[in-house]
Amino acid sequence: MKATVPRGSIGNGITHEDIDRAADRLAVEQARRTDAQRTLFQRLRPLWLLIGPGILVFIGENDAPSMLSYAATGAKYGIGFFVPFILVTFLAGFVVQEMTVRLGAVTHRGHAELIFDRFGPFWGRFAMVDLVIGYFLTLVTEFIGVRAGLGFFGVPPLIAVGGAMLLVFGVLLSHRYWTWERITLGLAFFNALFVPAALLAHPRWGVIGHALLTWSPLPPGGIFKPDTIMLIMANIGATVTPWMLFFQQSAVVDKGLQARDIKAGRADTMLGTLLAATFGIAALVATAPLLTHGIKADDFQAAQFAQALQPVIGRVGATLFALGIFEAGLLAAMTISTSSAYAFGEVLHMPHSLNQPFWEAWPFYLILLGSAFAAGALVLIPNAPLTYIVLMVNVIAVLAMPPALLFLIILVNDPEIMGSHVNGRWANIGVITVTALLIFAGLAYGIITVFPSLFGG
Amino acid sequence: MMGHSEKEKPGPMVPTSPPAESGHALETGRREAVLSVLEEDQLVSAKARTRFGRKVLSPGTRILLWGLRVYVLLMFVLITIQVLRALQGGAH
Repeated sequence: MKATVPRGSIGNGITHEDIDRAADRLAVEQARRTDAQRTLFQRLRPLWLLIGPGILVFIGENDAPSMLSYAATGAKYGIGFFVPFILVTFLAGFVVQEMTVRLGAVTHRGHAELIFDRFGPFWGRFAMVDLVIGYFLTLVTEFIGVRAGLGFFGVPPLIAVGGAMLLVFGVLLSHRYWTWERITLGLAFFNALFVPAALLAHPRWGVIGHALLTWSPLPPGGIFKPDTIMLIMANIGATVTPWMLFFQQSAVVDKGLQARDIKAGRADTMLGTLLAATFGIAALVATAPLLTHGIKADDFQAAQFAQALQPVIGRVGATLFALGIFEAGLLAAMTISTSSAYAFGEVLHMPHSLNQPFWEAWPFYLILLGSAFAAGALVLIPNAPLTYIVLMVNVIAVLAMPPALLFLIILVNDPEIMGSHVNGRWANIGVITVTALLIFAGLAYGIITVFPSLFGG
Repeated sequence: MMGHSEKEKPGPMVPTSPPAESGHALETGRREAVLSVLEEDQLVSAKARTRFGRKVLSPGTRILLWGLRVYVLLMFVLITIQVLRALQGGAH
């Protein structure tokens, strides 16, 4: 049962972290006060102050391997089944991520910490093993994206990866969650670069509308083919992954959200969902011309997509695409390395807040920067099997998701910690459906891997 | 200490840089200012001292947790097989 701390018993005073968080909360409280005449800006200001974790988690999940999955999908299958499919996967992601907002705002604890507290260290360590594997592999792919995206412009790998690491470090220098969040949000909106790239592909809007309404055309040979299943898994893994659960809940806690902010948190998450879905579909639309031009893109990396697109959508479009991949990798490197540091800080009961300066929370920052450094270094090793890591990381994310969702379902239905904010019936139907579909997708992948001949492989 | 420029309005106290006063009065003032906008269990000191207790897991829940754990382990084996096949096939 949750223990509460009576006001009079607070002992050793207030920390720097508390004061910074209180300052952020004060801005929200003042923005919420209603005056007789408020401008539109003043009415929207509370929402502006409260958004962040939801947008960052979804656009952070539009990372390099995800955008490359969408690009590969567009190049292989064009505009059809996968357009509504991607939208539905993002809506499934919203169902899941909204629960982390409620968990963080009500319990004021991170996801890893709650798992360890409620399930014990045995199950907590299992969760952490999945997370660490997923985190590290995903971080590697982000630096692959950075390297490949800037490779289109002739930037040497060492400078591309080293520069990205410096930027990951640089945004931490303010040691304020608010500043880190606003800088990364600013970076996140460059994910929109895929939209003008898609427009330069001159898509036929009627075809997109038809695809959204009818889920057709289906991939040739149907969806139960090994290649198609792999892309389905990769696209699902591009929207629902374990690190998202941990990141958004920790960010909600670090931001200081409270139960009365849940509605704003939900709006933030939906905004992130819709923006990321739009940008993901844009990446698919941008590369669809490669299919119609008969260009085989099965083994393409980011720079190759951009180079192949150049004669089709022009130098500007190709440049936007390459910059988008670079941004996707850089933003995700920042959010994922921070998420891993949050998780370790929570379970090891070490200071773990972006509101703390380096000297107060050096283990937190060491994990954050160390993980980014190790992942970046791996990318610079000659002949490392980077292509396959990119393709498999989203598949791994899908396969590791069901146990993470089970912990989430149990926690968010726990009245001892959630009080009146437990899941309603429809939320449970939604998340259980998502979990069942992920398990089904994983089983389909397993059967295809073991018996490829059953599906023409 | 505020991270945003705001027109001052009456309301919760603002944590500010301390004038020269006794340490106890300063500490009390800061606590009240912070607690006027934060919930008690949002404080670092409160989180350090309190933990949620262990949840009692039903047999069905344990079976589900173990079942999904076995599922993940099997899937990781399959992924390893897939990766090895691909590497033998010359992926890079």
